[in-house]
Amino acid sequence: MLGVKNLHKSFGSNEVLKGIDFNVENGEVIAIIGSSGSGKTTLLRCMAFLEQADDGIYTFDELNKDIRTITRKEIKELRMKMGFVFQSFNLFRNKTAIQNVMEGLVVARKMNSEEARKISLAMLEKVGMADRIDYYPDQLSGGQQQRVAIARALATNPEVILFDEPTSALDPELTGEVLDVMVKLAKEGITMVIVTHEMEFARNVADRIIFMEDGVVVEEGPADEILSNPKKEATKRFLRRILRNEEE
Amino acid sequence: MNDRFIRIVKILVESFPKLLVQCLKITIPLTVLSFFFGLILALILALVQIANIKGLKQFARFYVWIFRGTPLMLQLFIIFYGLPSFGIYFKGFPAAVIAFSLNLAAYNSEIIRSAIQAVPIGQTEAGYMIGLNYFQVMVRIVLPQAARIAFPPLFSSLIGMTKDTSLASSITVIEMMSVAKRIAAVYYEPFWMYMETGFIYLMICTILTKLQADFEKSLEWKQPDEVKVAMQTVEEDNRNHKFRWLGPGKVK
Ligand SMILES: Nc1ncnc2c1ncn2[C@@H]1O[C@H](COP(=O)(O)OP(=O)(O)OP(=O)(O)O)[C@@H](O)[C@H]1O
Ligand SMILES: [Mg+2]
Repeated sequence: MLGVKNLHKSFGSNEVLKGIDFNVENGEVIAIIGSSGSGKTTLLRCMAFLEQADDGIYTFDELNKDIRTITRKEIKELRMKMGFVFQSFNLFRNKTAIQNVMEGLVVARKMNSEEARKISLAMLEKVGMADRIDYYPDQLSGGQQQRVAIARALATNPEVILFDEPTSALDPELTGEVLDVMVKLAKEGITMVIVTHEMEFARNVADRIIFMEDGVVVEEGPADEILSNPKKEATKRFLRRILRNEEE
Repeated sequence: MNDRFIRIVKILVESFPKLLVQCLKITIPLTVLSFFFGLILALILALVQIANIKGLKQFARFYVWIFRGTPLMLQLFIIFYGLPSFGIYFKGFPAAVIAFSLNLAAYNSEIIRSAIQAVPIGQTEAGYMIGLNYFQVMVRIVLPQAARIAFPPLFSSLIGMTKDTSLASSITVIEMMSVAKRIAAVYYEPFWMYMETGFIYLMICTILTKLQADFEKSLEWKQPDEVKVAMQTVEEDNRNHKFRWLGPGKVK
């Protein structure tokens, strides 16, 4: 459904993505794991065109094109079919929770505001934020902001939602409420690509796990297999380190 | 001594309405017009820089360089005394409005530009990801947030402008300062005349400062009454949230 082939990206002389092949099928949930600086965020951002990739083939449904030749108009159309959830939430600070969710419907998709409001309410309900619709982001906790951000991404009914470490900016006691929501979405069959450091969560929701290191995909496979029975030395090392940290 | 005191009081009382009339007739209109045109021009100068429009961006930088790098008095003189050598004549008041607007535009465009740049890039990216285009992101997300950031320094600039209008007296505009000078010269009481004039400037600026505080409050993105309640519930929620996925400690 969404995929890249041989994706390359450098920042100056620093090559961050060194030929990534990646693919997500309809209804699939993929977790991307890997140590800090391995290029996970960059990969996600390239797929959303928030970074301009240097080389690669980009696939989205029937579109299949050299990523460098994708036009601005195509980017806009592709983004209409995607959702993105940021590590730092990025709720519009000048808008209330419900206005945040409605914005993409009313302004970008020209839906009438009554219908948009109905949809937005349903989405906020789904993420457990129905009682805070008129609050501004500054009046919400991090976990609540991230749940509104998820509602905002859901409202436009995207074909796939990309999550960049949705819980990393949260206090540990707030991660649960956000992960809860994501489990629910996974069960509903929403296609998701999730960069995460939460291994237990990845094991529970991901159909497939991708382990990245140093700008390449080192290993990928069914969640259980990667986490319990990794083949590559780098994957084992990474998981040992993570599990040790979690025990502390 | 007593006679002198009565004389001064008389002069002050008699001159006060004259100063006030000139203030209302010239100083305030000069300030308002200059600030208004200066702000529009400033917004244009800031936006062409932000949007990175080739040519126009360089022009804007050049413009700011010129108008910030030379004295306001000199700019007034060039427009009023200098341009007539090219056959372009302005009366004092329009010349002052033009000079003040052009000068303000340079300073205010820098305020607006840096306010726009102070809006986190994540706001723009989030806008793009829900399908907004550049124009929609600017108008609906970035500019409203930038306005709030730019508001206090723009107000300072307005207050500064109010006082700088006194420079217009040097190009024959009879504003409040010119009137003060004349009266001071007639009665030989410069100290008390200028104190009185200063008092009127101070009053204008006091009113402006009060307005600024009121405006700033109205710009806040919070329902004022509910703020406290909201923050309490947020904290309560955080305390009461029992569910945890993993043990303590983020992995990172
Ligand atoms: N805008 C940028 N300019 C220059 N270098 C960048 C930029 N963004 C990322 N990098 C570099 O690219 C590399 C990969 O960064 P990236 O953010 O993709 O890693 P990550 O896997 O998401 O890490 P983390 O787990 O810490 O989020 C890093 O070395 C980083 O310094
Ligand atoms: Mg990252």
